[in-house]
Amino acid sequence: MPSTRTLARRRDGLTSLLMAGPATALYTVMLVVPVGLACYLSLTDWDGYSAQPEVVGAANYADLAGDPALRRAVTVTFLLAAAGTLGLNVLGLGFALLLNGTSRANSFFRMVMFYPHVLSALVVGFLWSAILGTTGAVNSFVTSKGGEVLPFLSDPDWALATMIAVVIWAAFGVNVVLYLAGLQAVPHSLIEAARIDGATRWQAFRHVTLPALGPSVTINLVLSLVTLLKTYDLVVSLTAGGPGGHTQTIAYLILWDSFHDGRLGYGSAQSVVLMLVTALLALAVTRLRRRGEMAVFS
Amino acid sequence: MRLRRTERVWAGAAAALLTAALAGCGSGGFSEDASSDSGDGGTIRMLVNITPNLTQEYWDKLVKPFEEKRDGVDVKIEAPTGKGVADTLQQQLAAGDAPDVVETLMVDEALAPKMLELTDQPWAKKAPLAKQAALKGKIYNVGIGEQAQSLVYYNKDAFAKAGIDQPPTTLDELTAAMGKLKKAGYLPLQTSGEFVTGLQLLQLSDPSLAQRHPHWHRDIGDGKLKAGESMLPYLELYDSWLEKGYLDKNAMGLKNADGETGFLGGKSAMYVMGSWFTASEAAAEKDFEVGVFPAPVAEGQDHPGPQGATMAAPYLILKDAKKRQLALDLVEYLVTDKKALAAQLRQDGNFRRGFDRKFTPLEKQVQQILEAAPAGVAQGEGYGDDTLPRGFNAAFNTEVQGLYTGRSPKDVAEAVDRWVESHS
Repeated sequence: MPSTRTLARRRDGLTSLLMAGPATALYTVMLVVPVGLACYLSLTDWDGYSAQPEVVGAANYADLAGDPALRRAVTVTFLLAAAGTLGLNVLGLGFALLLNGTSRANSFFRMVMFYPHVLSALVVGFLWSAILGTTGAVNSFVTSKGGEVLPFLSDPDWALATMIAVVIWAAFGVNVVLYLAGLQAVPHSLIEAARIDGATRWQAFRHVTLPALGPSVTINLVLSLVTLLKTYDLVVSLTAGGPGGHTQTIAYLILWDSFHDGRLGYGSAQSVVLMLVTALLALAVTRLRRRGEMAVFS
Repeated sequence: MRLRRTERVWAGAAAALLTAALAGCGSGGFSEDASSDSGDGGTIRMLVNITPNLTQEYWDKLVKPFEEKRDGVDVKIEAPTGKGVADTLQQQLAAGDAPDVVETLMVDEALAPKMLELTDQPWAKKAPLAKQAALKGKIYNVGIGEQAQSLVYYNKDAFAKAGIDQPPTTLDELTAAMGKLKKAGYLPLQTSGEFVTGLQLLQLSDPSLAQRHPHWHRDIGDGKLKAGESMLPYLELYDSWLEKGYLDKNAMGLKNADGETGFLGGKSAMYVMGSWFTASEAAAEKDFEVGVFPAPVAEGQDHPGPQGATMAAPYLILKDAKKRQLALDLVEYLVTDKKALAAQLRQDGNFRRGFDRKFTPLEKQVQQILEAAPAGVAQGEGYGDDTLPRGFNAAFNTEVQGLYTGRSPKDVAEAVDRWVESHS
């Protein structure tokens, strides 16, 4: 006969299982199964309609290497992710420092900063294309003053820069909020002590505030990076991938290849690779940041 | 290798779940057999294209007389929940929740097994372009008329100011006219980004290309011809227009609607577009008259040449339609009832040879062009047995836009050929 302690342990185990069950089931159905299915479909030639997709092995993965559209999309996506992550965090932290107070003006500006994030990315794209398009508000003004049309959306380099700027404009409010939360957790006494010891404002920020913000920086970096690697809807409404495919991102191409060209198997292979790269990058950034944070606090 | 039965079941589940994950919708699986109840009453679902012209209200009004004639019948109009009709249907099929009738899509090898063959329906054979759009002799698509593609709309005031008495009939004459229009202070040819750039070049080249390569699609399919290489003369011509400033080098920063506005606002002199543009023209306020002429051809070719033509409002019936007979009756009504036809033709600027309706002056000219065309030809991606790999039009558009970013016509042609090769 099992002892009372064993019975209690079993009961605790059962309770834990029951408590974790719904969350585990939800996680499995919403994440594990779709990811598994995407992996399976990436090994087929499924076109989205046929009842009998053929298993083609690693052929879709082999095709990825020779796809010029994908090569271009990879470059665009990584430029967007790198520049966007940097911009979002520099601006996010900068504005958080400016708005780190409890005045009414600060509350108002926080709301203003966050507002673009509330808008749908599709709306943001259409809005900015109406402002920056060849016949948009800015160019209408410029040409009315005798100037040349500024190719915000018609030149490949300008279009990419415009897209990065719009992405940053639309999303940096979230970074501001996250950094504000981080700043409010930094003990004021630490900064005061540094100032009493003769540190300048910059020195206090550099050697006290910034190290204390370590976890916030990590969260912001990873969130920005992961979000930007999946950019899709803003591309649709701002540039439609143009000119000449120069602003197509990987996510845009996945949707296009899958549903427009009817190559869901190939699109799934792209998705699997993007998922792995995103996970690896997020992991690498987290690890590097962790190491940095440990070094600061050790 | 082919999948075994168990694997097929898994594939079905995979499709449904992936779709559910992507679209946040229900579950289901591949289903080859479904009930095909021929009962009279009940609800029938029709997935349609919703555009500024084709609104939900328009569709509801269109099917209302059918519902009134058939007691207890409710035609449920469904708008795409995804990016368009194609991906919505894919999601619905995978989820086992497909509608009974679909409007807008042209059947291809992938879609055909899911669709009801209409070859034996006498009314289907009479539908415009039904035989041309047939797949290996089998009719699946039926439509209400034709969309003329190879049309050049022009600003009559601009032509008069530039001293152009007659619309050009050859591509050389068109180039010369552009020079005069530029001197007169107009942007000669309006274009824009999005899907418009490549579409216009296809529309413009149809009549000439069809005479140069009468079996263009099939020859490409058989490997006798290359799509990009055969389009090279037109790409070079287009590039020369771009260099001469006959096209706006910043046009890729324009959306389709901006392009239309540019032309209807009187800033540009010509606009290449399909017959549906007549609906926008009729609705626009403008202080000049718009004319239209068929796309010019190369020197020495017959003019007018074959007109690029696509089926207007193509309908398909799902093989698994729960109310198959009712679906057949509905589609027959939509493609044969005179009032329904007139409403559909009028609403989206569509035309049908020999079918008279109340025309605007511009529409009358389009109808005359359509009647005078020696033939209608499939354009770009095409339809029926005249098809290129799915996605060709979009890929061609992307490559043509490359001309605006400094790529040479030869590079563009080669890129098009690489795309066709990798997708064949």
